[in-house]
Amino acid sequence: MTVTVERARVAKDARRQGGSRHRKDSYTLFLLPGALAFLAVIVVPFLMNTGVSFTDWRGVGTPEWSGLANYRALMDDSEFWASFRHSLFMVVAMAAVPTAVGLVLAAALFDYVGKHFGSRWAAVLRACFYLPQVLPIAVAGIVWSWILAPENGSLNEVLSAVGLGSWQQDWLGDPDIALYSVMGVMVWVQLGFPLVVFMAGLQRVDPQLYEAAELDGAGWWRRFRHITLPQIRPETYVVLTWCTIAALKVFGAVYVLTKGGPGGATNVPSYFSFTTFFEKTQVGYGAAVSTVLTVIILAVSLIGLKLQTRAEDAEEGVRA
Amino acid sequence: MLTARRNGRRTTRTAVSLVGPLVGALLLTSCGGSESGSSDGKTLRLWHYEGPDSAMGVAWKAAVEEFEATHPGVTVEFEEKGFEQIQKTAPMVLNSSEAPDLMEYNKGNATAGLLSTQGLLTDLTAEVTKRGWDKKIGAGVRTTSQYDTNGVMGSGSWYGVPNYAEYTMVFYNKDLFKQHGIAEPTSFDELTAAMDKFVAAGITPLASAGAEYPAQQYLYQLALSKADRAWVDKYELYKGKTDFHDAAWTYGAETFADWVKKGYIGKNSSSLKAEDAGVSFIQGKSPILFSGSWWYGRFKSEAKFDWGTFLWPGSGLTLGSGGNLWVVPKGARNKELAYDFIDITMSKKIQNLLGNKGGVPVAADPAAITDPQAKSLIADFNTLSGRDGLAFYPDWPAPGFYDVLVSEVQKLITGSAKPDAVLDSLQEAYDKGVPKT
Repeated sequence: MTVTVERARVAKDARRQGGSRHRKDSYTLFLLPGALAFLAVIVVPFLMNTGVSFTDWRGVGTPEWSGLANYRALMDDSEFWASFRHSLFMVVAMAAVPTAVGLVLAAALFDYVGKHFGSRWAAVLRACFYLPQVLPIAVAGIVWSWILAPENGSLNEVLSAVGLGSWQQDWLGDPDIALYSVMGVMVWVQLGFPLVVFMAGLQRVDPQLYEAAELDGAGWWRRFRHITLPQIRPETYVVLTWCTIAALKVFGAVYVLTKGGPGGATNVPSYFSFTTFFEKTQVGYGAAVSTVLTVIILAVSLIGLKLQTRAEDAEEGVRA
Repeated sequence: MLTARRNGRRTTRTAVSLVGPLVGALLLTSCGGSESGSSDGKTLRLWHYEGPDSAMGVAWKAAVEEFEATHPGVTVEFEEKGFEQIQKTAPMVLNSSEAPDLMEYNKGNATAGLLSTQGLLTDLTAEVTKRGWDKKIGAGVRTTSQYDTNGVMGSGSWYGVPNYAEYTMVFYNKDLFKQHGIAEPTSFDELTAAMDKFVAAGITPLASAGAEYPAQQYLYQLALSKADRAWVDKYELYKGKTDFHDAAWTYGAETFADWVKKGYIGKNSSSLKAEDAGVSFIQGKSPILFSGSWWYGRFKSEAKFDWGTFLWPGSGLTLGSGGNLWVVPKGARNKELAYDFIDITMSKKIQNLLGNKGGVPVAADPAAITDPQAKSLIADFNTLSGRDGLAFYPDWPAPGFYDVLVSEVQKLITGSAKPDAVLDSLQEAYDKGVPKT
């Protein structure tokens, strides 16, 4: 009897595996369009760009093979390294600050506004914070350049009106301030994204955890630290990875607000690559910059994904 | 297991057979050269980037109407482009089958000169001679039409035709000058004295913009005031070694920095754009703007005060050249129609219209220019070209030099670099960017 049951189970497993394999094969066809599109839109252009980065080319005519010359030149290019330093500032503005502030705001909206004023108010405020994400960066950038204009700019006018005229600055024209001004705009642009993701993440946290903690006398901060933060760790990884990548390849805001100025004070790698490519028509060199940038972004993405997977595995291990 | 591997191979083979042609097609598309296509003689594809209200925009619109009237059955497909758009994509567009029949393009070694060396533009020499355009275009203006085999302007074949000229001048607000009891300056000393009076009255006299061309044009004009034609030829035409630490450039950079300190140029102008400088003049905030004739039509229609112009005092040279060029892409399908259109823009009718709308025509009938301000504009240009005073623009010698100039002049405005360091950086970028032949 035992042997019969075991045989039946093995046969069933085999059928299941066979079916699964069959299903896998037929699913492959569904993956094909996506894979082809990925190949055509991402892989082939990237490989072509990498190929161009080994040449000396002005965009027209025949490229001349130059080997690693562009990469060697990059190593000694202080403008290139300065642009990467600025990128790190942008990571702070577009990833670190929005993630931290977004987390606190999401928790406050979910845990306080939602409970005391109703979920509708929380949704309205969430939409308000998300609005800059919907605006095209070209539009937002132009509006901010008006706000930050040295003469008649709204910010300086407001400072003057409230008796803080001595705080007036040339926000985008002073090399000591311009990068921080752009960072401020980017915090405003970016904040809505982590906020929305975190609020979605909070929806799936078991309310009983909060109730139990509340009954045990835990205040808001302790509940935030010991329940909210650990529970939405996967969302935190996704947001941090996503925002870091966005920060590394930021272009539109710099293009509209400062064009990398004054005197290169807000230059970033993507804008540097753009000007090298199109303005200086050093296409091979510009391609080298964008190749390096792509490799860095890929590395950051992989590290982010790895950390996320490790954290999820550890969490599952704890649960098991 | 074996079946699975076979299936895998089959899937791979299927994928390769599907992907192969796609990748091949992509590579062919991306690497493909120009496709001249065939002429249908029925359509003229025309691109230009002049604003519809500018003198050139009005004149080209009239030219299109004239062209359609004289070419029954031919349609003009006009596409309005942005300057930046054409500037940045022209090589790729002209190297594809999407090239128009006729296109407005920026002049200079780094632009039209570069494209000519790459074989992307049609050599117009025969057409220019046949249609007599060379007789209408003066020596100073035609410099930017001709390029040698290295793409250096001033000699060689004609690759573009300019229908107008442009030059820089001092625009000044007569009402503000009168209000502060300042007479129109006739010398450099009087100009600086006038600016001192405005500063004393709490007004920044010069409208400027560090994020775009206006600031670098002040710098170049200051240098030009200590330069001569040979200096310009060295800098722009590579006829000798350019030294950014020579007397002219040093004077330009140091005087510019000094003017910022004195308050002639706003310390907070580093992030401003050309539009901001123009608007500041139009709004009557800045009494002086040194810039190009391309502003003339706009000021004429928008400024609500009495204003006038004069050439930069104490300098035989100023920024200026022939205007943007009509170029015929090598791959244009209807070149004859393109030549006919250029011919119409060179006609007296269109040239006179251009002149009366505030442009600087190259072949107008002086008697037909009725507007007094336009007459003065053209008279100043004639004075300038008569003394061989067009010194082109500072960003022309090397690709990307415009951005370098913007960046370095911003440093002069913000005081983040001394004139000497700025000139060092300009020298480095210039030497790196000029042709090595």
